[in-house]
Amino acid sequence: MSAEQVVQALTDVSYKPDGEGERRVVEMLRQQFPDAVLATEEFRGDQIVTVRADRWREIARFLRDDPDMRFNLLVDVTSYDRLKLNQRPRFVVVYQLHSIPYNRRLRVQVPADDDQNPTVPSVVPIWPTANWHEREVYDLMGIRFEGHPNLKRILMPPNWEGHPLRKDYPLGGEPVPFTVTWSNPEFEHLGRQILKPEFPPEEIPPGMDPERHIIVNMGPQHPSTHGVLRLIVELEGETIVRVEPDLGYLHSGFEKQAEHIRYKDFVYYTDRMDYTQAMNNNLGYVLAVEKLLGVEAPPRAQAIRVIMSELQRLAAHLLWLGTHSMDLGGVGLSLMMYAFREREAILDMFEMVCGARLTVSYIRIGGVWKDIPPAFERRLQEFLDYMPARIDEYERMLTDNPIWKKRTIGIGKLTADQAISLGLTGPMLRATGVAYDVRRVRPYCGYENYDFDVVTATDGDAYARYLVRIGEMRQSLRIIRQALAGLPEGPVQVPNPKVTPPPRERLDVSMEALIHHFKLWTEGITPPPGQVYHSIENQKGEYGIFIVSDGSNMPYRVHVRGPSFVNLQALNPMSRGHLIADLITNIGSIDIVLGEVDR
Amino acid sequence: MDWVDLVVIPIIKGALILFILLTATAYLTLFERKLIARFQVRLGPNRAGPFGLLQPLADAVKLFFKEEVVPGHVNKPVYLLAPMMAMVPAIALFAVVPLGPDLSLFGRRIPLHMGGDVNVALLYVLAIASVGTYGVMLAGWASNNNYSLLGAMRTSAQMISYELPMAIIVASLLLVTGTMSVVEIVEQPRPLWAWLWLWLGFPLYFITMLAESNRAPFDFPETENELIAGYQTEYGGFKFAVFYISEYLHMLTSSAVAVTLFFGGWRGPFVDQFPLLGPVYLALKTVAILFLYVWVRASIPRLRYDQLMSFGWKYLLPWSLLYLAVTAVLVVALS
Repeated sequence: MSAEQVVQALTDVSYKPDGEGERRVVEMLRQQFPDAVLATEEFRGDQIVTVRADRWREIARFLRDDPDMRFNLLVDVTSYDRLKLNQRPRFVVVYQLHSIPYNRRLRVQVPADDDQNPTVPSVVPIWPTANWHEREVYDLMGIRFEGHPNLKRILMPPNWEGHPLRKDYPLGGEPVPFTVTWSNPEFEHLGRQILKPEFPPEEIPPGMDPERHIIVNMGPQHPSTHGVLRLIVELEGETIVRVEPDLGYLHSGFEKQAEHIRYKDFVYYTDRMDYTQAMNNNLGYVLAVEKLLGVEAPPRAQAIRVIMSELQRLAAHLLWLGTHSMDLGGVGLSLMMYAFREREAILDMFEMVCGARLTVSYIRIGGVWKDIPPAFERRLQEFLDYMPARIDEYERMLTDNPIWKKRTIGIGKLTADQAISLGLTGPMLRATGVAYDVRRVRPYCGYENYDFDVVTATDGDAYARYLVRIGEMRQSLRIIRQALAGLPEGPVQVPNPKVTPPPRERLDVSMEALIHHFKLWTEGITPPPGQVYHSIENQKGEYGIFIVSDGSNMPYRVHVRGPSFVNLQALNPMSRGHLIADLITNIGSIDIVLGEVDR
Repeated sequence: MDWVDLVVIPIIKGALILFILLTATAYLTLFERKLIARFQVRLGPNRAGPFGLLQPLADAVKLFFKEEVVPGHVNKPVYLLAPMMAMVPAIALFAVVPLGPDLSLFGRRIPLHMGGDVNVALLYVLAIASVGTYGVMLAGWASNNNYSLLGAMRTSAQMISYELPMAIIVASLLLVTGTMSVVEIVEQPRPLWAWLWLWLGFPLYFITMLAESNRAPFDFPETENELIAGYQTEYGGFKFAVFYISEYLHMLTSSAVAVTLFFGGWRGPFVDQFPLLGPVYLALKTVAILFLYVWVRASIPRLRYDQLMSFGWKYLLPWSLLYLAVTAVLVVALS
């Protein structure tokens, strides 16, 4: 293929989900590797292929390069421990693949042979984005990846003992005094795995040269790392030689927590990962559980979800615009407060519908918490009326501003090819010209019925990302306008008593309703055994939830594919050779929230 | 000239000017905070006293009562010297600014400036303004911290780049006025074309002023988003306050100097009848320039350090040279 054809092929995005093609892919894999494909399965429309670990590298290369496959985007890598499912071998690594040109998805399971020392070949040479994913799996599950360039812990401290997501990892450290007493000998081992106060001595990452270059430690307390991100920066003068992010300062073990609470209770945790994206994170998790249950929210709830999701996207873009302009322009720059003024109006509307502004937990399994209040529609309409002029105002301050252009054009440049191989999604990917948007590629909540454009730019630099995000703000308004105009009447929760509680007034008259209510609050939802992956487009990219269910009322394994985590990997390639001031531009333009990066 | 003229009056005058200057600086911080709050649809400080008027006092008390921490890894004598090195030139610069016409009090003629009548006042302005750089550089060096060092390096590069165009514009002014005494510059009558021509050059001078006093969009030495606080990173409490005050002093004095050089200093209607109006006019004009400072800060994003350098050398320097050349031609042709 010529260079133009390659670019054309890369930016070629199919919007038609190809379920038939996915089945064909599985069939072809079976034919191509008859001895390597151990099992295939279809569950809730997802194709799952299990392959042998020793042939995995070969299959991966085939999946990426074969003209009929072209699975160029490795969406996610995770793993689960089958100890309590009583299956052998114990550890499984799970890869979510997406073929952008054909719009096909495939989940590949690779069981690690040896239970004592589980090892799987690394796919970093095939999909570079796997680098951090595999480090995360190694850190939390203890699976080694053969051929990984830098396999060390990423979220947990370097001197941590054990791998927390394993099912036999001892729980505790936090006493539960109302169930047992301190004199119980069971408590003697508790607290042992808590980190010892003396930290290991700081090491300069391998490959950095402290003799010739300045090594600057940026963060975890730094004004513009947007949270507790630590960067080890190697500088020659003010030019960046290398950036090594050090993550995990905010790691809170949400995924482990999810295994010990009921399905509905994890909704509240999703708020707290990417706190600028509470509505979207609720939605992503809830949709995954609904997919597992096989239920669909009623039309009114779908439309409300779309409105909330787009409002949240708008609010998060405004937050990004404010902080990014402040990073580049200094704290005095007024744009930040202007963006916050509008974000405030959105948060006020959230407060109207659910009483909370930041951690909303409004979208629930089977629908939404409650119907929107009557005054909400008028308030939203007012907002929609004045908001376009405000976006014009921001653009007047920045879009043609020569200083802004000088600061952003050509900074953090990525090509479409690089972006896809790094697994970037969201505005980061669209700024390189790839019109990949989950709302279009895999529509949910009836997004296929709304008329909107997938905003793209071609340059792949910080200015292109700025233009894409500004464009998306306008598209969000457009979607909200359509959703508001066509808001259907009807219930906002699935009338399925196994999923959502019966209405309050029914409890007084119906014994059955009372029993359902009781069972739902004491036992919770019990989905069938199986595994699903569902993703949505949040403001930062593809937000995916992978759930393994063992048929009980608590998830067996929940994994969150956070776009911030994946996108942050691009920081080093983006910043190399630029100045230290551009590093700040790049962090801002990647748009991360550390709550989600570290989870 | 007796001892009263030589000793008593300068001491009283100096103390008075110093007091006014420091108070004005304190209120300049409030002025900036209030103003920038209005630009940003906020209210700004409004809790301490009516309209937040006691805020500078509260800030000062807070900073003075902080624990004096000297980090163990610093070069102590230089570390302690640096804040003073930053503050002294900012105050000394004010010495040549004439505050008003000469006063007649108790039968004595009292000039309202400390030393503006010396015949090298313009050179003094340029020289003292550069000395301020040493405070920043010493602070960055003595702190023994990478961020401080980078901040200090940026400052020295920036100061050198921007002093040159500044000096050239001042030289153009010298061509027009024909004197280096600031008092004479204010008092001498000037033809209309000279006024207009000087005002045309003022934007250039204003840009160099912004860079010289490290203000947005040229506030590199302390770019809080990249270098934490730049050269001030290791300073806290009172020593930090001294740096902070000297930055605002620098703003204030450089505005006063600009008013003196370009806008007739204390001159205004009825000054001849009421000499005390002179300082009032000077203050009003200075506030107008300070407003510009804040306005620029609220609306213009910061340049990148290398872009600032290339702007200085590739645009500002040629423009100022051109300005100098045209001034020379105009002076010969029109006078």
